[in-house]
Amino acid sequence: MIQLTNLNKQFGDKVAVKNMNMALEPGKVMGLIGQNGAGKTTTFRMILNFIAPTSGDITWNGHPITQTDKQKIGFLPEERGLYQKLTIEEQILYFSELHGMTRSDTKIALADWLKRLDVVGKATDKVQSLSKGNAQKVQMIAALIFNPEFIILDEPFSGLDPVNTSIMMNEIVRLRDNGAMIIFSSHDMNNVTKISDNLTMLKQGEIVLQGGVQEIREQFGRTKVYVEGPFSKAELANIAGVTQINQQGAGFDITISDEATGHQIFDFVTRNGYIPAFSQQPPTLDDIFRQEVALS
Amino acid sequence: MNKGLTIVIKQTFRSHFKTRGYWLLVLSPIIFAVVIGGIIFGVTQMQGNTTPTVAVIGNSQVRQVFIRDEKTLDIKVSKITDSQKANRSLAAQDLDGILTLQDDNATLTTQPKSNTINKEAFVSVLGNISRSQKATNYGLTAAQTQDLIQPFNLKSVVKQPDNKSTNGENSDMANYGIAVAIGIITTMIVMWYASMIATEIANEKSSRIMETLLAATSASIQYFGKMIGIFALAVTHLLIYIIAGAIGYVILQNNPMLDGIKQTFSGVTIGFSIYAVAFILISVALYLILTAMIASLINDNAQVQQAIQPITFLAMIGYMFSFIMTNMPNNLAIKILSYVPFISQSMMPVRLVTKVETWPAAILSLIISFVAMIVLAWFGKNIYAKNVLSYSDDKIMSQLIKNIKNRN
Ligand SMILES: Nc1ncnc2c1ncn2[C@@H]1O[C@H](COP(=O)(O)OP(=O)(O)OP(=O)(O)O)[C@@H](O)[C@H]1O
Ligand SMILES: [Mg+2]
Repeated sequence: MIQLTNLNKQFGDKVAVKNMNMALEPGKVMGLIGQNGAGKTTTFRMILNFIAPTSGDITWNGHPITQTDKQKIGFLPEERGLYQKLTIEEQILYFSELHGMTRSDTKIALADWLKRLDVVGKATDKVQSLSKGNAQKVQMIAALIFNPEFIILDEPFSGLDPVNTSIMMNEIVRLRDNGAMIIFSSHDMNNVTKISDNLTMLKQGEIVLQGGVQEIREQFGRTKVYVEGPFSKAELANIAGVTQINQQGAGFDITISDEATGHQIFDFVTRNGYIPAFSQQPPTLDDIFRQEVALS
Repeated sequence: MNKGLTIVIKQTFRSHFKTRGYWLLVLSPIIFAVVIGGIIFGVTQMQGNTTPTVAVIGNSQVRQVFIRDEKTLDIKVSKITDSQKANRSLAAQDLDGILTLQDDNATLTTQPKSNTINKEAFVSVLGNISRSQKATNYGLTAAQTQDLIQPFNLKSVVKQPDNKSTNGENSDMANYGIAVAIGIITTMIVMWYASMIATEIANEKSSRIMETLLAATSASIQYFGKMIGIFALAVTHLLIYIIAGAIGYVILQNNPMLDGIKQTFSGVTIGFSIYAVAFILISVALYLILTAMIASLINDNAQVQQAIQPITFLAMIGYMFSFIMTNMPNNLAIKILSYVPFISQSMMPVRLVTKVETWPAAILSLIISFVAMIVLAWFGKNIYAKNVLSYSDDKIMSQLIKNIKNRN
């Protein structure tokens, strides 16, 4: 288990990470979300000991992370980089050897990974001849091929098309099911919701939300209602407790202050019987994110 | 040895060893040497093919002697024995010379395009024939005649202060040669390999591979691994030359040119050779450490030249001083500089071989360089660790100064 305790990082006067606590468990995915400059990359760099925390502790099963532990960490950096002049195979062989994997094992595993990630190109192709998306997949392979126990992915989906994004997601889920501890950062709430078990939302270095994805959403109550039917925006706005209404396609997105207001809306819209749509949901992470960011 | 370190060393070595650039670097001086050697060989060979043809006229006995001695005289005796025919042939440039013999003298007639004829050899052969004939006339025995015509034997020996006699040329030539050789070798290796390590580090830093590497290993493993890897390339490079030199030595064993070189360097002992090589290696390591340290401050490949310029300049300074030194070996500044790391390698070995300095002084200078290497390596490791992941826009020098100021 990875444990961050009261972690702080200051660059001069600037606080990049403030009083962060976090626990990562085997077989669980942690999504780290936050705006640009929220402190996500800084957190990863502290875990990897690229920079020293101003204060606080980072431990793996109770002891500080050693060089031997680091070999078991798979890391995808935010700024991607590969040796342009080497072939895919030479590149992966070097990185995986540094992580303690033998060259012969790597060669066997690589063929498998190239196929699974649908990389266009052969193992003997030079990296400089790859498209950006394919280079990114190679970088992903470099981070994951040695079956790391702990995986850190800084913005793993940036620059990928939807098909490749879902390929990557499948890989993350597969590694999680194999028992790895995984933490990744993202701006895209959709992705975070789909594959995270837990999430941590950062705002200017401080944690504003943390916990299970569903749990966090529920914590905000079922305050989002969607309805479709024969009624006008003005009629809906008259109901007490409705704070906001937006036309959304054929229906309306309604924000309410209290879950109970949902009953009144339901009674009103179904007063004449059947309507095609009614749903009352907790806010999406996207909504929560916007809401939290807006608060300041 | 640490496993990560071995992997980084191997990778650094392998990734360069396989490139065309490295082999170009290694082979171009050999190719250059072979081409130059080939030209010289070809020229000598061509001269050998133009053995002059000479008609010997007027005395058939002497002509027989000349035919017997064709090899040593380096001529071909023509079949022509008739004077008129010979003159026609000479005019047609089919002959290189006509040797016309009278009783006590001879005339050698040549034409403007004649190949060179060794006249001294002619004089000596003719003289011997004439002397032995006269001796017979005086009634001397064959043994007496032989004794009479025996040439005087003059041996030439150069006495060295260490009681090692060599029959070589002026020993100043040798020392100058050693100074130049050590200077050139160190300067070239530094220039080649400094830019290699700087490019390597700058490339990893600018392409942001560094984070991936440091996720698996530590900065000091990267730093030392790269340096040892590049150093191994330099040593391999030297070894290739030593092997090529040994092969060349075997092939050219009987070549007169090689004899000249052998004589020039005959004052160089095994002990000295080891010392000079050790000094070259330590100073190359020193320069690599300095370069790696400065290269860690580079943000992109465009800055590589700017960063290694002062380093190659430093290497050149030592080289320059080695020339000044041959003229004034006892100058105090020169004496001090021959203990200063980064410069001493092009001074001290020459001073040792010219007996300006003694072995203890020479060893001291080597130890100073060695200690400087250790200290700089440790210091460089810290600078490297602190800078490989930071991307500052400051000038390299001001970054370096900043780093030295806030060392903690
Ligand atoms: N080396 C540094 N020196 C000074 N300030 C830094 C340094 N690295 C990061 N910061 C500051 O720390 C804060 C957090 O940066 P960080 O890179 O962690 O953000 P992030 O959450 O990863 O953002 P993004 O989504 O843009 O990647 C930012 O305000 C940044 O300017
Ligand atoms: Mg970031």
